[in-house]
Amino acid sequence: MLSINFKAIAKIIGVLLCIEAIFMLFPLFTSIYYRETDIFPFLFSCLITAAIGVSLFLSTYKSNDRSGKREGFMAVTLSWISISLMGALPFIFNGDVDNFTDAFFESMSGFSTTGMSILKDIDGSCHGILLWRSLSQWLGGMGIILFSLAILPTLNSGSGLNLFSAEMTGVTHEKLGPRISETAKKLWGLYLFFTILLFILLVVGPMDTFDAICTAMTTYSAGGFSTKQASIAYWNSAYIDYIITFFMLLSGINFALIYRSVFRNPKYLFQNEELKYYIYSAIIGTIIIALYLTFSYSETVNYEWSFRTALFTVVSGLTTTGYSIVDFCDWGAFFFFFICLCMLCGACAGSTSGGAKMIRTIILMKNTSAEFFRQIHPNAIRPIRVNNSTVSHEIVSKALAFFVFYVLIILISCIALSILGLNIEESIGLAISSISNCGFGVGGENPDAIFTTLPQIGKWIVLFNMLVGRLEIFTVIILFSPYFWKK
Amino acid sequence: MKIVIAGAGEVGTHLAKMLSKEKQDIILLDTKVEKLQWIDANYNLMTVVGDPSSFSALKRAEAGKADLFIAVTPTDDKNITACMLASKLGAQKTVARIDNYEYMLPENRAFFKDMGVDELIYPEMLAAEEILNALKITWARKWFSLCNGKLILVSTKIRENSSIANSKLWDLTKEHNFYHVSAIKRKDDIIIPRGSDEILINDIVYFTTTPEHLNDIRDITGKRDITVDSIIILGGSRIAIQLARILPDSISMKIIEQDYEKSLKLAERLPDAYIVHGDARETDLLIEEGIKNIDAFIALSDNSETNILSCLTAKKLGVKTKTIAEVENLQFISTAESLDIGSIINKKIIAASKIYQLLIDTDISDARCLATTDAEVVEVIAKEDAKITKGKIKELDIPKGLTLGGLVRDGVGQIINGDTQIKANDRVLIVCVNDILHKVEKLFG
Repeated sequence: MLSINFKAIAKIIGVLLCIEAIFMLFPLFTSIYYRETDIFPFLFSCLITAAIGVSLFLSTYKSNDRSGKREGFMAVTLSWISISLMGALPFIFNGDVDNFTDAFFESMSGFSTTGMSILKDIDGSCHGILLWRSLSQWLGGMGIILFSLAILPTLNSGSGLNLFSAEMTGVTHEKLGPRISETAKKLWGLYLFFTILLFILLVVGPMDTFDAICTAMTTYSAGGFSTKQASIAYWNSAYIDYIITFFMLLSGINFALIYRSVFRNPKYLFQNEELKYYIYSAIIGTIIIALYLTFSYSETVNYEWSFRTALFTVVSGLTTTGYSIVDFCDWGAFFFFFICLCMLCGACAGSTSGGAKMIRTIILMKNTSAEFFRQIHPNAIRPIRVNNSTVSHEIVSKALAFFVFYVLIILISCIALSILGLNIEESIGLAISSISNCGFGVGGENPDAIFTTLPQIGKWIVLFNMLVGRLEIFTVIILFSPYFWKK
Repeated sequence: MKIVIAGAGEVGTHLAKMLSKEKQDIILLDTKVEKLQWIDANYNLMTVVGDPSSFSALKRAEAGKADLFIAVTPTDDKNITACMLASKLGAQKTVARIDNYEYMLPENRAFFKDMGVDELIYPEMLAAEEILNALKITWARKWFSLCNGKLILVSTKIRENSSIANSKLWDLTKEHNFYHVSAIKRKDDIIIPRGSDEILINDIVYFTTTPEHLNDIRDITGKRDITVDSIIILGGSRIAIQLARILPDSISMKIIEQDYEKSLKLAERLPDAYIVHGDARETDLLIEEGIKNIDAFIALSDNSETNILSCLTAKKLGVKTKTIAEVENLQFISTAESLDIGSIINKKIIAASKIYQLLIDTDISDARCLATTDAEVVEVIAKEDAKITKGKIKELDIPKGLTLGGLVRDGVGQIINGDTQIKANDRVLIVCVNDILHKVEKLFG
């Protein structure tokens, strides 16, 4: 009989729920400050989360910490599910949504940094709720498990490493220090620093403090929840648009790379191939969309506007943030496919963005080209090189397997969504948008209405996609594979 | 503590794994990515790809900030160069693994110190010393002389003829008080025993005792003492050469080497030894060379499987007292032990535990690994006002997985039991499981 150390998993979940309960205090204080209706909902949510967390932790406190790869995968998946479940409580208690599915959807959309919102009246929501949505994205962006690795010495062992690899995005996981806690501390420190920097830059512009805090958190986590129904378009300010574009772009860069470039040697930044392709994609995408907009809507737009819109939208799609400053639903099929492609590729591995990640796309492209070469020269040795070093066969095959699953899940969810009555554009858009954690509402007449009109089963499909997308497929899907359960 | 290990070979990876479990900051440096990938993904440490003898790689591995720099690549010149560079960059202490007897000579030590190599490790030499040790007390599986020879930790397998088999420890302590059962190895588990534990047949028991009572331990375990005066060695490996060098004249040795060229070289290097060219797995050859009259059979070939199997063959053919096998695959060790091979030698564990001694705080002067990597023996000096000095052992809350074997007070070794009161400045011998070592510091600090 296979023995999975469930107690060790329960312990980790317990610890994480305690941390979540502490973070729930922030919206609680906010609601007390604004004297709104969500004081008690947050108080109850916080108490329930803390009670469950503490009891899970205490009941397993003395058990041994033996945990391997299996426990790592399972712990990460289950923690994300339980954190999202607890995160849904405030929405239910405050009456923002009328059923459990919607609340869980909103919460998962937050933690997975997708940013699809089911709330009908965002402008009229309580401040506490708005802060909680932003905070959940901020925690989910860098990863709440990584956060706990940074602050808790108990997880700082071999088992912590398994959690780290199961949660972090990317093909290989670069460490910044010998201890896993050191890496986690540096990454979170950087994350916090840039979020604060963004907040300051936003508050200098035409944004009030509360909105700036929330927007800073959701921008740098590549989340995409906004405190306004109209999203970033509400402020209608070029300054804010450019600042947010820049920070979205920054959030799509590998954090470990930023750290090494800033603290060790800036030349790392210029040597990195993934970053190069990422920036090129953003530039080329912007040019294409800007030209498209200029020629298609030449009577209504000016050049600066079309450049800014194109840049903002492409970067928002590429980093899978999902902010929009215009309603692009009627921009036609070309734009639809283009933005889907952006979401699919995503930004750099090891960043807060979703999607398949640029590095996998590069490996895939190079492998395909090498395959063509091998057709003509069957005996030639042609290794795939990224960043001037050879990529091993295991990594190539990992990337291939990832893409196969990625496309498979998109196809299956497209079919499932179309059975539920969505049209082609809606189902493709929704499937890609959810698995890449982007949150664009593409395809429909009204970009955001699509989430609210979705049938219950459809919401669960999207919800599953969001979780699978955030944890990069294998961590979740492996639980359904026979290898996981067989000895 | 920040430790940089250059060379992800067998010793390097073993050390890195062990130390990363000990919550040290480990950076592992090697030229080959393939060697590092797996350990990087599975252990809590950082790996750096680069040549240990290049400045840029050492800088990337932050060797300058290291408290300890360990060079264990296969070649000694690279190790020495790496240590020199690292100490120039600012490493506090450097250790190089070498394979040259000359370097170990006391008159050359100052020279290496000047160059920036603080310590030299010679695993083959250490292994040879360990074999020699094993030959001195043949009935023991393993024995260590600890606390400057005032205490001895000795392990042996309990058979039916032992008077202490099937008895509980608290009954035994009533009968005798000259020993302390510090650990029991039962199948693959190491048990740090408490009073309620029982000694079963086929357990390997570790006793702490004083040198004068060593023979009493032999009596209660039903063993006989035989002095070894002839040995056969399988394989003319580097350990065999070192062993030949330090073996006393009273013991005669034969080396069986399969490779003809190598046998000629051996004969040239070791004029006093008797070299046989042939395959030691052949029973005829062993019988011809008089295996029945040989006291000990020592298998030191490069192949662990060959070593284990030939030891079994030698046992069957009637080698008189002892078989010793070099087993380099860590996974095989417990299997080999259960097959009743007298002693197991593992270069990796020997080298790693020697290096381990260097990095443990100055208070803990001696640390060794037991038969496997599961348990450790540590010597600690109790500080003034340490928690451990606050009462008798039985009154204190000693953590599970840790036991106090004996102590040396004013130069006299004594065995610890429940009524012992530890005083400041006592040198205490502790046996504990790996992951509990940090608690030792709390108790004695």
